[in-house]
Amino acid sequence: MSILYFSVAATLLALAGCSAPNPRVETRLNANAALTGDIPVDPLQWRVITSGVDPRNSTMFTLFGNDAAIQYSRISTARNYPGGAVLALVTWQQQEDSRWYGGKIPAQLKSVELVDVRASDDGRLLNLYRAYEGSPLRETTRLKSQADGRPTYLFSLRAAVMP
Amino acid sequence: MIVRTIAGLALVFLLLQLVRPKLTNPPATADFEAPADVKEILRKACYACHSNETRLSWFDEIVPAYQLVASDVKRGRMVLNFSELGAQPKARRNAVLFEAVSQIQMGAMPLSRYTRLHPEAVVTPGELAALRDYILPVPPARPTAQLDIEAADAQYRQWIAGASTSHPVQAAPNGIAFLPGYKNWRAISSTDRTDTNTLKMILANDVAIRAIAEHKINPWPNGTVFAKVSWMRQPDENGGIRTGKFEQVAFMIKNSEKYASTAGWGWAQWMGAELKPFGIDANFARECVACHLPLRKNDYVFTAPIAAARGPA
Repeated sequence: MSILYFSVAATLLALAGCSAPNPRVETRLNANAALTGDIPVDPLQWRVITSGVDPRNSTMFTLFGNDAAIQYSRISTARNYPGGAVLALVTWQQQEDSRWYGGKIPAQLKSVELVDVRASDDGRLLNLYRAYEGSPLRETTRLKSQADGRPTYLFSLRAAVMP
Repeated sequence: MIVRTIAGLALVFLLLQLVRPKLTNPPATADFEAPADVKEILRKACYACHSNETRLSWFDEIVPAYQLVASDVKRGRMVLNFSELGAQPKARRNAVLFEAVSQIQMGAMPLSRYTRLHPEAVVTPGELAALRDYILPVPPARPTAQLDIEAADAQYRQWIAGASTSHPVQAAPNGIAFLPGYKNWRAISSTDRTDTNTLKMILANDVAIRAIAEHKINPWPNGTVFAKVSWMRQPDENGGIRTGKFEQVAFMIKNSEKYASTAGWGWAQWMGAELKPFGIDANFARECVACHLPLRKNDYVFTAPIAAARGPA
């Protein structure tokens, strides 16, 4: 009988398998891409305006907007965001998706750029630009030239169609 | 007593051999053509279940192993049959190959219950590299046709004018209704797919966002909904890529009881700005489950969501 039991047990073991867990399907969060560090807002809590890729630098971005920015971006083809609108361009390094060959997903966080549209006393609109870089994020606005057209670039990214 | 038990078991075993589902090798009508080295890897690793050239080892012929083998071959041929793949248009062939290599790379294929007894079918890292080299080079940012850019522009103007969604959206063939609120959900990741020339954004409802903040994502709680939105990749004037024409939005709706027959998720997809439901009948969801199956230990979800920095607002 013991031989029978042994062979049944051996068969069951073989069927159950003893392979190591496959790291590619392990449950995990994408921690590298998290927005950690010194930043006054959390754009991941906002809604999406659009996204894109810079193949030369292997980076990908998502443009987020606060309620005022979202509202405007989805009803107007112009680029004149109203006072109160805040846009946040979040840029990540790209990495190959280990779960889908041919796909690339966000890896290390690279930067967050904020454009805050503010109405001045005389009614003119000012674009307050702030930049944060690295992971964790550190403010680097002072190192950047304000005249390099970043606010205009952010405004130029039209909303992705979401019917 | 012992002798009798063993004799009894032997008889049952012999009788079981008569219960044999039919497994034949129909002619290969349109065998997939590839360079010899690639073909050899596919033959060795895939053809036993994914072609009409099934060759069984003697131990595969013994019931109950035989029944398992027969059912695997039947399912395998249904999903991907290299003996018929040659008849498919090139785009479809490429899509199939990308998925096949992806499944091999994930360790989902060949099935481990097969490789355990047929170790020669294991795809080595070198062979995987050869397969990747064959289906690559990743199409270097296919130049988007002027027609596509014009279509994307027209679609955008219509959408801004509120004209693209004026009609009521038809439910999916499995009865799942369209969820127009997806566009106001939070982003949990994005994908740049050079194989399909698309950019994708994965949006998730509040239940999912809370689950991410609490690190409770396996299983995802009932009520979790994901929307995967796809656009064509569209080059801009500075060498970058932006979202172009809206292609589709696909949903995964978690309800382990209601959707028990489709892996605990409700699946639905709507195509184009006119939001045409995907699928001819409710069986379309089987395709969804089949493709997500390798991730069953991860509650069928491919994407690792971006970790929350600050918990839910």
